Amino acid sequence: METVAGAGRVRTGIQVLDERLNGGFPRPSTLLLFSDKPTEKRLFAENFAVQGAIAGETTLYVDFFRAPSLARAELSRFGKYPAERLIVVDAISNQLLLESTERYRIKDIDSITEISDVIVQAIRETRPSRIVIDSMEFLADHFPKDVVLDQWKRIIDEAERAGSVICFLFINWTYQERDLTAIRALSDFIVEFQSSMRGGILRNSMRISEMEEGGIRTNWIPYTFKDLIGVTVYFPRIMVTGPFNAGKSTVVRALCEKSISVDRMGTTVAFDYGNVNITGIEAEVFGTPGQERFEFIFKIFAREVSGVLLVIDATRPEDFERAKHMLDLIGPRIPYVVLANKSDLPGAMGADTIASKMDLPQGTAVVPTVATESKGVRDALLILAEMIIGVR
Amino acid sequence: MADGVHQRLVAVLQELRRIPDVIAVALARRDGLLIAHVLPKSMDPKRIAAMAAAIVGTSEMAAAEMGLGPFFQSIVDSGHAKMLATGAGEEGILITMVRTDANMGLVLLSVGRAVQAITELLEQSATVPEVSM
Repeated sequence: METVAGAGRVRTGIQVLDERLNGGFPRPSTLLLFSDKPTEKRLFAENFAVQGAIAGETTLYVDFFRAPSLARAELSRFGKYPAERLIVVDAISNQLLLESTERYRIKDIDSITEISDVIVQAIRETRPSRIVIDSMEFLADHFPKDVVLDQWKRIIDEAERAGSVICFLFINWTYQERDLTAIRALSDFIVEFQSSMRGGILRNSMRISEMEEGGIRTNWIPYTFKDLIGVTVYFPRIMVTGPFNAGKSTVVRALCEKSISVDRMGTTVAFDYGNVNITGIEAEVFGTPGQERFEFIFKIFAREVSGVLLVIDATRPEDFERAKHMLDLIGPRIPYVVLANKSDLPGAMGADTIASKMDLPQGTAVVPTVATESKGVRDALLILAEMIIGVR
Repeated sequence: MADGVHQRLVAVLQELRRIPDVIAVALARRDGLLIAHVLPKSMDPKRIAAMAAAIVGTSEMAAAEMGLGPFFQSIVDSGHAKMLATGAGEEGILITMVRTDANMGLVLLSVGRAVQAITELLEQSATVPEVSM
């Protein structure tokens, strides 16, 4: 099931992320899913495992916390996958005196050698493309540090021989900074997770960093989880702004299946709102009014803005100054894309002319659009999404 | 811990929802994003949150413009129901929909209590550090 572009890589199933990773994580590689407090990193690992099984890849899930039947039931929230593609290493049944039909069972949970023997054997025999170890803090809590680090290396070596992408979930409770440095050094990618409360709203975000010099490093990417869809990148607010009559409401309508507009006589007086769902991205889109007398609306909505779609009328250079002013109203250092709208009209200027007339910084994306026909609008949003996610 | 705050906010909304003639209750942030809701399926909670923020923001500015003192509440009085959009602390807007013939004395008292509880919960949650983006 590997595509040509992603040959030798495993996809996360989060499309924008896979594109940033040139098709996914390379095989073999070692991922550390790291957080310093309990967060949603298991969501990412489970999603990663299920995406593998759906793609027809063999996936090994080592679970120290759940009986296999429970693990499989919870994994099915991420989508329907062929059961035989997902192999669970069972560490629980023996402890709970449950019957187990799993091929790989850990009988003595108090012996780290046995634990790692079973894992290594499972890797050697099934040669999975993805492995999830859920989790290393379980081992770190139960066994001496040096022993854990030795077995950790042993498992990585085996995964490398099998050509697997292996994910270690790890919350640090007890280890010192220099131990963490050693653990990071064992990994090719670190995926960090954060969750925090902002004014009553819980936000989850993650960041991917490649350990290699000059490797990939993303910004903090906000994400959300939905049953049967799995993990999606989630932007709580994309602002659509621009001068009067540039076509902002039409852009919101073109992006969103369902949208609302608070307008009078064809002009927005309060705001437009819609919810977008495309290729692994979900976003709330807020359109502002264009006229100066409604500028107070910016003060209400210009918070926690992920990015801006700045809509301009490509035939009206006299409004360009106003457009730049509106960008300033939303705030500094927010990623934006310029939509050169009405690009089908006579006298519409090209992207380069607009960039120079607006005196935009080098490399600013200017996308020609015809919002009334939905042309270019989605592309502009995808470019913006890539900018927000960011890759060094 | 953060999840706990959300559950307690929902509990406050549910309690207000149980007052006679209260049809629907939601909590939005002042910037129009939804925090929590107990709305009927026919209403889109995210849209209502955005609407309420625009109503409150506009009302607040109108009040300031006209020198009316600090803003407390906007009431939208319509054919079948009233909608109360009440400031709840620095961050929140409590949205309460009630039938036109509701006992407004009881409703306003209950809304006041809910606002107090929400304000405290939101202030607690504000101590959780923000993500650096």
